[in-house]
Amino acid sequence: MPTANTSFFGWVAFLLQKYGMLFLRGTGMTLLIALTGTLFGFVIGLLVAIVRSFSPAPERPGHHGALEGALCAARGMLLHLAQLLLGAYIQVFRGTPMIVQAVVIYYGAQYAGVYMDTTFAAIFIISINTGAYMAEIIRGGIISIDKGQFEAAHAIGMTHWQTMTTVVLPQAIRNILPSVGNELIVNIKDSSVLNVISVSELFFQAKSAAGAYYRYFEVYFIIAVIYLILTLTVSRLLRWVERRMDGPDNYVIHGSQSDSRAEIVVSRENEEEVSRSWKA
Amino acid sequence: MESVIEVRGLRKAFGSHEVLRGIDFAAQKGEVTCIIGSSGSGKSTLLRCINLLETPDAGEILYHGEDILTGRVNMPRYHAKVGMVFQQFNLFGNMDVLGNCVTGQMKVLKRSREESERSALKYLRKVGMEAYVNAKPRQLSGGQKQRVAIARALAMDPEVILFDEPTSALDPEMVGEVLAVMQNLAQEGLTMLVVTHEMGFARAVADQVVFMDGGVICEQGAPQQVLGAPKSPRLRSFLSSML
Repeated sequence: MPTANTSFFGWVAFLLQKYGMLFLRGTGMTLLIALTGTLFGFVIGLLVAIVRSFSPAPERPGHHGALEGALCAARGMLLHLAQLLLGAYIQVFRGTPMIVQAVVIYYGAQYAGVYMDTTFAAIFIISINTGAYMAEIIRGGIISIDKGQFEAAHAIGMTHWQTMTTVVLPQAIRNILPSVGNELIVNIKDSSVLNVISVSELFFQAKSAAGAYYRYFEVYFIIAVIYLILTLTVSRLLRWVERRMDGPDNYVIHGSQSDSRAEIVVSRENEEEVSRSWKA
Repeated sequence: MESVIEVRGLRKAFGSHEVLRGIDFAAQKGEVTCIIGSSGSGKSTLLRCINLLETPDAGEILYHGEDILTGRVNMPRYHAKVGMVFQQFNLFGNMDVLGNCVTGQMKVLKRSREESERSALKYLRKVGMEAYVNAKPRQLSGGQKQRVAIARALAMDPEVILFDEPTSALDPEMVGEVLAVMQNLAQEGLTMLVVTHEMGFARAVADQVVFMDGGVICEQGAPQQVLGAPKSPRLRSFLSSML
C-alpha cells in the first residue's frame, strides 16, 4: 500500500499491479468496439455511397409502353426518396456529437421498452456514426475515379452494380485507405465517450480505478500510454495493408521473341529490366 | 449488303449547344468506316451516342434494323456486341492485362474463367501483348495499353468495334503499332467505325469515309472520292490543313 510519500512511478507501478487486468479488459473492449464499429461503419458507408452513386435513369426518347413508363417513374421516385433519406442520415449523424447520440439512442430505446446490452449499444452507435462519415469518404473515393473507368465498364456491357463492385470500388477503396485508417484511429480514441452509457471500455475502467485512490493523474497517464500504443500499432498495420494492396513493384514478361521460355522481370518505376531467367 | 448499325436523324445537344444536328449513315457488315472532321464537329459524340454513353435527343439508332432507343433491346448484350476503344485507353487500373480482358467475358457473357482466359490469350496474342498478361496498366506504354484495350474489346466477340481517336493520345512512334493492329483486324473482316485524324490510315483501310462538319455529315463515300476529290470547300480546307 503506497503512502503519502510514494513517488509518481511508485503509484504507477502499484496501480498497474492492482488494476492491470482491469485496464487490459478495458483495452480489449475498446479495441472490440472500435474495430467492429469501424468495420460495420465501413459496410454501411459502402452501401450508402453506392445507392447515392446511382444517377436517375435519363429520359430516353422513344416509344416505351405506358406500363414500362410508369414502372420506370416509380423506380426513379423510390431511388430519389432513398437518396433523400440517406442524405438526412449523413447530416444528422455527422452533425451531432457521438456522446449525445449515445445517450439519446441508449436511453431513447429504453423509453421505447428496449433495454440494450451496453456492448451491443456501443457497437451500434459507433457503427452508425462511422457509417455517416464513411459514406462521405467513399463518395469522395468514387468521385476521384476517372470517368473513363465507368465508361469502359459500361461499354463492355457491365451493369452499374458490376461496374461499381469490380472496377470502381476496388480502386476507390485503395485511394481512401488512409482516411479509413483515420476513422479507425478516431474510433479507438472517441469510443471513450461511451463511458456515459457505462460501456466497460478503457476510459470507463480508468474512471473507476482513479476514483478508488483519487489518483487521477497516474491512472490517466497509464491509459494515455495505452491509447497511444494502440493507435501507433494500428497506423503501422494500415501502412502495411496499403503496401500489400499496391502489389509487387515488378512484373514478369512471359517469353521473348528470341526464346519463348524466357521470363523477364521488369521493375515498375523505370521499366528497366531487372533480371532474366529461363525456365528449364 | 447488310448494315450492322444505321443511324437516322440523330440529334444531340449539350445545353443550348447543338453538337449533332441530324445525322444519317450506315455501317455495312465487314466494312471500315472512318469518320473525319475537325475538333468539335461532333465525331466523338456520334460514336458515344451509338454506344449510349450519351443519350441522343432525337433520332434512331438501328442495330440490325432494330431501334436500340426503344428500351426493348437488352443493353448488356448490345454493349457486348458493340465494342469500344477509347482515346484514353481506360484500362481497368485495378486489374492486370489478363484481368482486363477476362472480366467482361465473365461478368457479361457469363463465361467460365478457363474459357475467358483462353479467348483473352488468343486476342492478346493477336495484338502482340500475350507476354504482358500480369503487367498492370500503369506499367505499360500508351501503345501497349491501346493494344490491350483492343484485345479487351475483341474478347467480347463483338460484331462491330467503335474506335474513338485511338491514336490521338499516343506518342508518334507508337501510333504505327496500333494502326497496324487495326489494319490487321480490318483485313479479317471486322466491322469498324473509326474516328480518326490519321488520313493515311483512312485512305488505306477505309471502305467508307464520312466527313463531319458542324454537327452534320458534309460528305461521305469511298476514300478515293472523299479524300481524293473533295467537293465542298470545307472538306478541301480541312484536308489541306491535315497535310
